[in-house]
Amino acid sequence: MGFQKSFLDHILRKPIQSSGSQVTAEVVSETPSTKAKTAPKEGLRFYLNFFMRDKPAFVAIFIIGLFLAWGVLEAFMQELASLLHQPSYGWALLPSNPFALTFGAKLEPPSLKDFPYFLFGTNQNGQSILSRILFAAPHDVEAPIVVVGSAVLIGMFLGTAAGYFGGWTDEVIMRLTDAFLSLPALILAITVGVLLGTSVGGFDAILVALMVVWWPVYTRFFRAQALSIRERGYVESSKLSGSNPLRILIRHIIPNSIDPIIAYMTLDFGTVILFLSSLAFLGIGVSITYPEWGAESSLGLTFFPEYWWYAIIPGVVIGVIVVVFTLVGDRLQDLISGRISY
Amino acid sequence: MVSNVALYILRRSINAVITLILLLLLLFVLLHTIVRTPVGLARIICGNPHCSNSAIQEIISKQGLANPLWVQFFAYISNVFHGNLGTDTLYKPETELYVLSKFLPITIELVLTGSIIGVLIGIYTGAIAAANRNRYQDYIVKVVYLTTWSAPLFLVGFVAQLIFAYWLNLLPATQIANPFLPVPRVITGAPLVDSLLDGDWTYFYSVVQHLILPALAIAVAGFGITTRLTRASMIDALDRDYVKLAYMKGLSKNKVVWGTAFRNALIPIITLIALTFALAVGGAVIIEDVFSYYGMGYFTVQAIYNFDYNAILAVTLIVGIAVILANLVADLLYAVADPRVRLT
Repeated sequence: MGFQKSFLDHILRKPIQSSGSQVTAEVVSETPSTKAKTAPKEGLRFYLNFFMRDKPAFVAIFIIGLFLAWGVLEAFMQELASLLHQPSYGWALLPSNPFALTFGAKLEPPSLKDFPYFLFGTNQNGQSILSRILFAAPHDVEAPIVVVGSAVLIGMFLGTAAGYFGGWTDEVIMRLTDAFLSLPALILAITVGVLLGTSVGGFDAILVALMVVWWPVYTRFFRAQALSIRERGYVESSKLSGSNPLRILIRHIIPNSIDPIIAYMTLDFGTVILFLSSLAFLGIGVSITYPEWGAESSLGLTFFPEYWWYAIIPGVVIGVIVVVFTLVGDRLQDLISGRISY
Repeated sequence: MVSNVALYILRRSINAVITLILLLLLLFVLLHTIVRTPVGLARIICGNPHCSNSAIQEIISKQGLANPLWVQFFAYISNVFHGNLGTDTLYKPETELYVLSKFLPITIELVLTGSIIGVLIGIYTGAIAAANRNRYQDYIVKVVYLTTWSAPLFLVGFVAQLIFAYWLNLLPATQIANPFLPVPRVITGAPLVDSLLDGDWTYFYSVVQHLILPALAIAVAGFGITTRLTRASMIDALDRDYVKLAYMKGLSKNKVVWGTAFRNALIPIITLIALTFALAVGGAVIIEDVFSYYGMGYFTVQAIYNFDYNAILAVTLIVGIAVILANLVADLLYAVADPRVRLT
């Protein structure tokens, strides 16, 4: 009977729901999902709740976690290898030695044969592309953290100062920023990377090049935020009550401008990886002793299009990693600005 | 009001010149912090790793590389304003400026075509997505921009080549035009414009065919960021009170979206024009490498492989000037579009 009643209820309710907006609103307001709407929009639990409900974001977070964990683990193994002078420790966790030459298995297409080894195919030296991609992961974890971290610090310092104080401070800082921004980031990074290549060399050249390039955008962001926030009522009232500028900057301007930037930072993690791979693709900061995702793709250009996987698969891996960062950044942005709620 | 605008333009132009000089200073400082000795600098200017000692000494005395830095800086600035950017290593007797004048128009043509396509599509799809938030249009646009924005440009190039050139055999994969065709008279240097002006229709058709794939790849570079920001800015605009007022006045959804919200949402996007252009110029380096499109990007990649510092510095400078101009235009447009912006 109980089943019948609920079933009848269901049928009876259906047409009521779809007709008349007032009734719909009432019905919806009874459902539990709206309870979360009134919950506070901050705190770890809220974010957890959000990401558990949002399936794509959950998958993306999972992949990001996997990527970061693998990068740290592999970096640890490589550190260990160089400390103990045992290079083989560096690829102890990989399916195969990424540097060993196997001429019997040259340019094999991706297949499930001999499971992980041929998953992404092999290159012209018979090295498993999967192994080389996994071996190169630590650089792609390190670069975004270093580059975005430094950019946010510099940008926060310069941008809020420029936006809040205005006048000559603004003029000087923004002209400097403009000088950096007047060059396409990739071109400036290429210039710095090539010039540094002689003295610093390798991956550090890429890192420095990206750090030089990255801060102006954040300076502009923080300046724009400061410009709009300094006109708000609470800043005015804080000023009237006699707070000094430093206190206003730290208490009001920076905390209120950082929210939209958190989402942008997450997005930027992916962008740094894109830039890193682009520079490596162009042959900057590349060494024979350390594979790089973009450089692998560039090597594949010689064998394109007959052996398409050599050029395309490293690119796809970069794309997947960047997509998950973009996805999470995107959702975070919606969440922070209150555009969606669960 | 008019004098106000004129003053603003004048001020922005002066700012542009200051930015340019700061850019020169930046490049100069960069070069001199990385290469510290006169001999090292002379090696770079010589462009030949096996430069003889006497040649190096001659360059040092001739270019005044042993002078104090500020003297060198003024010499550098005067050199730049006289159009003297050094000689190229690969195209030996020619000066950088001459070589670049051959390569630059090709890249400008490619970048403008690509970024205009990308921005137009991006603005349209972004506005559509925002107007139909959380409906299927929004999701489709989101998936497309997520994938295109996240894919490295060389991958976009590879996939485009693989599908359209090698599997479907629709379009040519590399080069600017069919190399067996006679080249039309050089007027502007941009192949598309030249062949049009010369009335060489077969060459024009070939150029268009070769332009499509790289231009689309460059459009992809600008498309993602434009869609994203248009959507965000449009959503912001749609939440505002004036949009509610417009609805209350009884305007149709179409009119509110495209008439009221869209015009206000466009304002922040205007500042992005310069950014998109810069993005496209950077992307051109990679795209031209993938497509063997003999423009400035290809020239840059060759310069990287040859450690040709003169060429790289010259490219940086030229691109910098182009982007400064784009920034100036964007700022002026911004002031025109938004009367609330104070013209100070």
